[in-house]
Amino acid sequence: MQITLSHFRLAGLAVSTGADTRDYIKDGLAHGISLAHLERVAKTIGLKERKVASPGVTALDLCEDASRRLLAAMDIDVSTIDAIIFVTQTPDHSQPSNSCLLHGRLGFSKSSFALDLSLGCSGWVYGLYQAGLLCAQGGVGRVLLCSGDTLSRLTNPQDQSMNPLFGDAGSAAIIERTGLNTPWYFLLGTDGKLASSIIVPAGGSRTPASGETRKETKNADSNIQHPENLIMDGAEVFNFSLREVPAAINTVIKNAAWQLSDVDALVLHQANKFIIENIATKCGLKSAHVPSNLVEKYGNQSSASIPAALIEGLGEKLTSRSQKIVGCGFGVGLSWAAFASEMGPVITCPIQPYPKK
Amino acid sequence: MSLSFESYVQALQKEVDVLAGVSPDAPLSGLPQWDSLAILLVISHFEHAYKMTVTGREIRQCKTIRELIQLIPQS
Repeated sequence: MQITLSHFRLAGLAVSTGADTRDYIKDGLAHGISLAHLERVAKTIGLKERKVASPGVTALDLCEDASRRLLAAMDIDVSTIDAIIFVTQTPDHSQPSNSCLLHGRLGFSKSSFALDLSLGCSGWVYGLYQAGLLCAQGGVGRVLLCSGDTLSRLTNPQDQSMNPLFGDAGSAAIIERTGLNTPWYFLLGTDGKLASSIIVPAGGSRTPASGETRKETKNADSNIQHPENLIMDGAEVFNFSLREVPAAINTVIKNAAWQLSDVDALVLHQANKFIIENIATKCGLKSAHVPSNLVEKYGNQSSASIPAALIEGLGEKLTSRSQKIVGCGFGVGLSWAAFASEMGPVITCPIQPYPKK
Repeated sequence: MSLSFESYVQALQKEVDVLAGVSPDAPLSGLPQWDSLAILLVISHFEHAYKMTVTGREIRQCKTIRELIQLIPQS
């Protein structure tokens, strides 16, 4: 689906990460992996450190911290926010939703809208679209958009192909209705036939958790997994990323009537440096500003990675002026979502661990 | 334009580190680092050098560098 919206803006952004630091090389050596192999992977796909949530801390806690910091920085009273959208696939409970729980924690008005979106790495852009839609149709003046996951807990600690990739983080964004008709060009897509290429096979209603679903087996690459773990067909997902993401990016740029050289920054889901560089090369944007190094500090932060890349990858460019920015999230579903718009200045809070040490 | 077999091999070996110095007919399954990362590097190389999509399954079915090169369509 391609759609153009206007009369809203991204006003503020914050991201809180897990507080525990994991070191890729040290952890791999502790699991008996050779230094040569670890260095090869680290260099090729850009892994170094990642931030994971401390025991007991959830995506809801990380997003609550990011929200509180952002509302304080923007001097916004919660009574002025009409809607909460919470993007997560690692909610506190199957019922009730994280958006309702955060509504209660932050003391929102009873008249506010609260909705969870069950999406991963494409989810922030879907959430932005949903928030923009609420503002554009006129009934809503201000939306809190939260997104985040604790994916590090879903991978098997002994699965050295998956476990080292993921960090935990939660983001908060404020989207506001404006009188300006600055357009946002969106492209939103899904390929449900590839759903099993990123999946947690058990633990939901289809295959409830049991002793059976915790039985570990070795996969084709000798990595240990059980059916309640997050598993991924890396080659299939890489093919998907190269097929859909550059096409989506080039479409929103064309819809915006921009040239490639007009794009100030391409902000992609921070899956890893290798995928980001492949996508940027394929869509002809290698020379644009393309943040790709966040994953070496934080790991793959799921739906919080685009907010993190906007805050830290663009820095004062985003906080000081308006920029032509293209973004795209892509992953579990399989699902993808791209946007092109002039955005900024945006108020941002620095990326910070929670709880603060 | 059709390149020589050797030049396809050289280009592949330059991009996929674990294939450097490996004979075109040596079994890939014997290489310690012929792993999921190596497969991503092959996909990336074929995509950018030949504008072609090759799947992980197609790559895993190849037993040698020669069979990998045979995936490239000859014009």
